[in-house]
Amino acid sequence: MESNRGRSTGSTGTAFSRRWVLGAGASALLTTGLSACGSGEGSGGGGGETITAFVYGDDAVKVQAAAVERFNRSTASKTAKGKIKLEKIPGSDYTPKLRTAMGSPSAPDVFFNWGGGSIKAYQEAGKVLDLTDIIQKDPVLKSGFLPSVLAAGDLKGRHYGIPMRGMQPVILFYNKTVFAEQKLQPPTTWDQLLANNAKLKKAGITPFALGGSDLWPELMWLEYLTDRIGGPEVFRRIQDGDAEGWGDPAILKAAEMVKTLVDDGAFGSKFSSVSYVNGGAPAVFAKGKAAMHLMGSWEYSTQLGKFPDFAKSNLGWAAFPAIAGGTGDVRNVVGNPTNYWSINPRTQNKDAAIAFLMECASEAYAKDLVALGDVPTTSNAAALLSSAPNPEYAKFQYDMVQQAPAFTLSWDQALGDELGTKMHTEIGKLFAGKSSPSEFVSACKGLK
Amino acid sequence: MSHDTLPRPTTAGKRPEQSGRRPDGRRRRHWTKRANPLAGLGSVVWLVIVLIPIYAMLSASLTSQDKALTGNPLRPPAHPTLDNYNTVLHSGFWHLLSNTVIVAVTVVAIVLVLCVPLAYVAVRTRTRWSGAAFRLFLLGVAIPAQAVVVPLYLLIAELDLYDSLLAVILPTAAFAMPVSVLVLTGSLRDISEDLYEAMALDGASPLRMLFQLTIPLTKGGISTVVIYSALQAWNGFLFPLIFTQSDEPRVLTLGLFNFVSQFGVNIPALLASVVLSGIPIFAVYLVARRALIGGLMGVGGK
Amino acid sequence: MSSTVTSGGFGGGKTVKVRAGRPNAVWALPAVLFFTFFAVVPMGLAFYLSFTKWDGLGDPKPVGFANWQKLLDDPRLTQSLGITLMLMAASWVFQTVISLLLGVWAAGHQRNRAILSAIFFVPFLLSSTAIALLFYALLDPNFGIIRENTLGSTSGAFLAIVFVGGWQFIPFHTLIYQGGARQIPQVLYQAAAIDGAGRYRQFFSITLPQLRHTITTSTVLMVVGSLTYFETVLILTKGGPGTDTAILPYLMYEAGFKSYDFGYASAIASFLVVAATGLSLILVRLTGFGGMRSTREGM
Repeated sequence: MESNRGRSTGSTGTAFSRRWVLGAGASALLTTGLSACGSGEGSGGGGGETITAFVYGDDAVKVQAAAVERFNRSTASKTAKGKIKLEKIPGSDYTPKLRTAMGSPSAPDVFFNWGGGSIKAYQEAGKVLDLTDIIQKDPVLKSGFLPSVLAAGDLKGRHYGIPMRGMQPVILFYNKTVFAEQKLQPPTTWDQLLANNAKLKKAGITPFALGGSDLWPELMWLEYLTDRIGGPEVFRRIQDGDAEGWGDPAILKAAEMVKTLVDDGAFGSKFSSVSYVNGGAPAVFAKGKAAMHLMGSWEYSTQLGKFPDFAKSNLGWAAFPAIAGGTGDVRNVVGNPTNYWSINPRTQNKDAAIAFLMECASEAYAKDLVALGDVPTTSNAAALLSSAPNPEYAKFQYDMVQQAPAFTLSWDQALGDELGTKMHTEIGKLFAGKSSPSEFVSACKGLK
Repeated sequence: MSHDTLPRPTTAGKRPEQSGRRPDGRRRRHWTKRANPLAGLGSVVWLVIVLIPIYAMLSASLTSQDKALTGNPLRPPAHPTLDNYNTVLHSGFWHLLSNTVIVAVTVVAIVLVLCVPLAYVAVRTRTRWSGAAFRLFLLGVAIPAQAVVVPLYLLIAELDLYDSLLAVILPTAAFAMPVSVLVLTGSLRDISEDLYEAMALDGASPLRMLFQLTIPLTKGGISTVVIYSALQAWNGFLFPLIFTQSDEPRVLTLGLFNFVSQFGVNIPALLASVVLSGIPIFAVYLVARRALIGGLMGVGGK
Repeated sequence: MSSTVTSGGFGGGKTVKVRAGRPNAVWALPAVLFFTFFAVVPMGLAFYLSFTKWDGLGDPKPVGFANWQKLLDDPRLTQSLGITLMLMAASWVFQTVISLLLGVWAAGHQRNRAILSAIFFVPFLLSSTAIALLFYALLDPNFGIIRENTLGSTSGAFLAIVFVGGWQFIPFHTLIYQGGARQIPQVLYQAAAIDGAGRYRQFFSITLPQLRHTITTSTVLMVVGSLTYFETVLILTKGGPGTDTAILPYLMYEAGFKSYDFGYASAIASFLVVAATGLSLILVRLTGFGGMRSTREGM
């Protein structure tokens, strides 16, 4: 006998309302519970002995790992009664992982960041320690770093981080062998760049490697073009909160130049699926499939780690060329002044955290950075450069930053996560040809 | 699993093509059992489509990294090497595997312990409460896990479970419940009421009936639920992604995702990790093929 | 099927013989509590959060309908909805056609069919993540086996997702159809053959109608499942090129875990739940799925 397939009647109404009440009650209970324990919870990292430090997990991590080891064996660690555990977060994941961790009870005690907008949200939530007084009072910290670099990570004039990596201006790298074969010189003007590109394309070589799928490598192009065309004031206006600043004609012109480059095949046809963080773009560059790579100075240590032969004999570097008719100084630089380590005020061992950060001003630390191919931002940096694996490169970088009238922080770090992500999406669309330059500009104006 | 319940018709008095017998006397039982060249061709095409990526995966995983960057990946490696597998195994693979096994086993346990009694009640007790409970789970099938990830994150953080295996286990078990309840109630309904009445006459308690009658007769449904929940746990990605961060509670799927950054264009190593991730289930598949397939076919038969 | 004494559906109606030996409804309580706490309450919370602004660090601040207004005004939402629906439809067509044909074919008992079915099943053994990674590696434009920029064009990216989804789930649905096809009483075919119906006629007049329930089951699973192609999109295309494959779940993930606008993400999430539930309810009502009483009916 087949059972009745009809839908039941009558009970629906009452059953639903009871269920609703149960659910509403549970939610109410939970929310009151949440707001009650919302603030004033335990600190990050269990048990007072070991504190956690988050670091961006790329090839440069070995310097920080060495510092942690030195610290854990040192008397400073014993005095402060704490050791450090280094947590390496893969690059593509760093910002979201940090954010989720900071919002949870197992937040790190010390964390890597880019200063400025990248820690604005944390500062507003009281999750980053104001280090200004600590730095003032400690001679090691006070005079250990280049003042401009220390100040570059500030929020409203207060220091929130200690520099812990090299300076990272964006540099135009090129493949010396390819250039020699094609009889090219690194371009100093935009017209030269375009002429070079034409020759390279004829030879079947992609002019520029570009890790389009990560989006921030594309941003670098826009940053330099805007700066060369309109100077650093253009972005500074946006950084200070004026979204109308996107309407500056320099931005539109930069976007149009990007479109021309993309359409001309300057980045090849595959860039939107190539990533930097997983090694795709560096490999394309090292293998000679592309002749140049506009990238932060860490590209040198990345290449040294992945393709040492290329890094040691074929890797060349130059400044971004000038653009005729632009008002920006050709010596201006964009990129990251450095990376910083900040302290979570809820740490259970503030002394250990601060003692560890003093490592970053030490000569041993600076020497490790130099050995990696980076240029430290410590006051003693210039003297150490001669022992760099590539003293020429080190000196080039140092002089570049020293002489730059302006050093603009990477736009996504300056704007913070919320706006930065949306800006990335718009930039992705521009490069992928999904937005026209003017659509890009109007979309960005809506970023508030 | 054959559901061949009907008697085969006799062939007396019928012409060969009508009787389903071929002229040479061999039995022809079902029209789909005749050779079907077009479908046969289609299946070969699909076979190729299935095998090519698998072949590429295996072949690339045995290639050394430098050759992979320059050579033709479709060609089998001239000098196959197990280096990539070595690399992966030394990148914390065993830990990932053991975490995933723990998650799978615990999820299955929770689902069974909670859902079997629920299905039992839903089928045997016809009050409005049991009806409401059943309807709750019916609607629950439609709740996509992604939608509740943000509040779950809040919940997990408040319960101080963030970055632990429990943070992955509990929500995964909860979201495996709707389908499990559906499968179990479906299969429980096949048990005749008469059998229960017989046991009731003997004075059996509901608990005894559950263990002596219901569970033995629901083996199919239970195995389906076990397989379904285990697969949900094994393949789960979103919850581990959001609720864990350090190495400790990391599961296989998340580990694979991290390998992308770690190995990047070391495609051989990346593919070796994919192969390794499939081996445990493949082993189960070889051993328990019938149970696995039967169980999955049962999912379709709600 | 034996006779079962049932009343007219759940929860009341005609008199039910309440005998000793029926389990107390309390047995269902643990399951209900557990599920409510980990699935239903979060849904309620998601709805609550959609009326707040929260960045994950401080406390949620109530902002009334701001997020919902933003949702309605957001062109990305309409785009995403369209993409999600198109993906669902394309996946359904691709997977159903192939699974149906393969399942019916595999229902035959020839030995070679059994072996081939065993091989076909292998893709299902890998997790979504593993499969997405596999194809991510194979489709890498510089180092994979297809060296065109497949994922860089909208159609390429879309087709890749449909294909990868199919590659993974067709084995599963083939099984469902195989089970269903084996249930079809042979008498029907015999009778049709006697009437002179050819193979194709038999397929359309007998096989398909008999598989009605199976198609329903498979469709419901597919539809709900296609909403979860999150891993595939995250690993293969990241919603790109541009935003052309950003399905709703991805949009939500981006709003929540990249922009840290959890309030807005919750609004999208609530919308997703309403849409998914609505869709399921429609499907269930249209096909009488919820009324199915036993396993045998679905096959």
